[in-house]
Amino acid sequence: MPPETSTTSTRPAEPAGSGAAGHDELRRLEAGLDSLQAVPETPRGAVRRTLDGVVPPILLLIGLVAAWQLYIVIARPRPDLIPGPFDVFGALVSAWSSDRLQIAVLTSLERGGAGFLIAVAIGTPIGLLLAECRPVRRALGPLLSGLQVLPSVAWVPAAIIWFGLTDATVYFVVLMGAVPSIANGLVSGVDQIPPQLRRVGTVLGASRLQMATLVVLPAALPGYFSGLKQGWAFAWRSLMAAEIIAMGGTIGFGLGSLLQQSRELADLSGVLATILVILFVGILVELVIFAPIERRLLRRRGLMAAGLR
Amino acid sequence: MSTPVATAAPVSTTGLAASVVEPAAISIDALGKRYGAGPLVLDDINLRIEPGQFVCLLGASGCGKSTLLNIIAGLEKPTEGSVTVASGKAAVMFQDAALFPWLTAGRNVELALKLRGMPRAARRPAALELLDLVNLADAADKRPHELSGGMRQRVALARSLAQDRKVLLMDEPFAALDAITRDLLHEELERVWKQTGRTIVFVTHNVREAARLGQRILLMSSRPGRVVNEWTIADTGSRRIESNEVARLGDEITDQLRQEIRRNAA
Repeated sequence: MPPETSTTSTRPAEPAGSGAAGHDELRRLEAGLDSLQAVPETPRGAVRRTLDGVVPPILLLIGLVAAWQLYIVIARPRPDLIPGPFDVFGALVSAWSSDRLQIAVLTSLERGGAGFLIAVAIGTPIGLLLAECRPVRRALGPLLSGLQVLPSVAWVPAAIIWFGLTDATVYFVVLMGAVPSIANGLVSGVDQIPPQLRRVGTVLGASRLQMATLVVLPAALPGYFSGLKQGWAFAWRSLMAAEIIAMGGTIGFGLGSLLQQSRELADLSGVLATILVILFVGILVELVIFAPIERRLLRRRGLMAAGLR
Repeated sequence: MSTPVATAAPVSTTGLAASVVEPAAISIDALGKRYGAGPLVLDDINLRIEPGQFVCLLGASGCGKSTLLNIIAGLEKPTEGSVTVASGKAAVMFQDAALFPWLTAGRNVELALKLRGMPRAARRPAALELLDLVNLADAADKRPHELSGGMRQRVALARSLAQDRKVLLMDEPFAALDAITRDLLHEELERVWKQTGRTIVFVTHNVREAARLGQRILLMSSRPGRVVNEWTIADTGSRRIESNEVARLGDEITDQLRQEIRRNAA
């Protein structure tokens, strides 16, 4: 042993915990170790984060439109087959000035939103039942997975025969699209709960109800949320499909109807403009509603990759 | 410390019998466990653990020590025999801290208090007091992912103390920690044990850890799991893991443990 270490070993060995002094020393030791092991956080400002998220897609968009315009200028294709960005923008403006665009967007958003909420109300209890009740799951699980794969457009003809050209047709198709996704999302969320968390719940003396509300549901939230996101995507797609196919009757004028109307008028600029609007609404809902909730949810649990913070 | 035999000492005053002979904190009689038609995991375990005792359950992997702990905890049922925990249920701490990731450290402790039935207003101060007991009062508002492994394990310790049960079962709680942190947590646990007077059953496969912490060390054989030997350590206060005392006892136990493991070679 080197001589300088002997000075420390000659000190009467007073193990921590044996007195107030020992306790203090243990406290200091632990505090030191805690700060050594703490993960340093480098939070980025909100402005910076927004810029990082907004600038690259906008740059890409500008680039794409520029390339599109360049192609039109150089190759000069037939405008009725390939319209330029300005033609599409003009179609957008004319649809806006005739009020058709606003009506279509509002009608579709209202139906999509209402359909989605109904789907949540139906899909959540089904998902809970499936996740917690084995026999139900064995019986209904494959059917629900199958329904998730089945394109919900396939229901349109049947729905028209059952409900005629009414809103019920549209809602039926939207529900058939969204409910299986939401239910399956909740099931996979519950399945991914680490078994240890349930054991802790049991050990802490949770009743069945407490286990469900205080442990299972919060633990399943990330999976449930991604099910909701997917459910919205399916609802929106199904809605567009239903609106394109089922027109007239008491069915209102939605974005799908606008698309179909432009096709009937052989107005390709109008068709492309409507497609862009449908795309834009989808992106907007994702960015404004789902993304902030998801970011918050994941960051609180430390599930967010460092680069995405 | 008293050996199991010593508790059978004759009682002189009949009227005070109940207060003189303290009932065992945990008593296990002829306990056996097998899964389905599989081989015996635990065979004829008989144990009497005194209140306030720190018992280490030591054995190689697969000796059924965790199974035994789970049975005491009531998480699994014994195939035969019986387990009685005098104070009702036991608190349990696992190798994985298993904190709820959506709650802060403080809220994790508060949840245990809530499930114990403590009124809302009393929970926050009680949780802070418990966190202070493990030197983590400042970390009450941190989420589990912001804490180091050792800190998480201390929050888990505070949470199991929040249950306010006389018996604390610990299943290799420090096995996943680095040596420096583990060493500090040994001191921490010892201090908390002395301060709270809990009965602790501590499962480990680390011989030195057992020799460092236990008042009583039970060595288990594998396949089937039986208690094959037992050491009682005279309580001379704290001992460091580097001390000769721990090393000597560790050597002795390791020899026996290896002998038990060799029996499985054939």
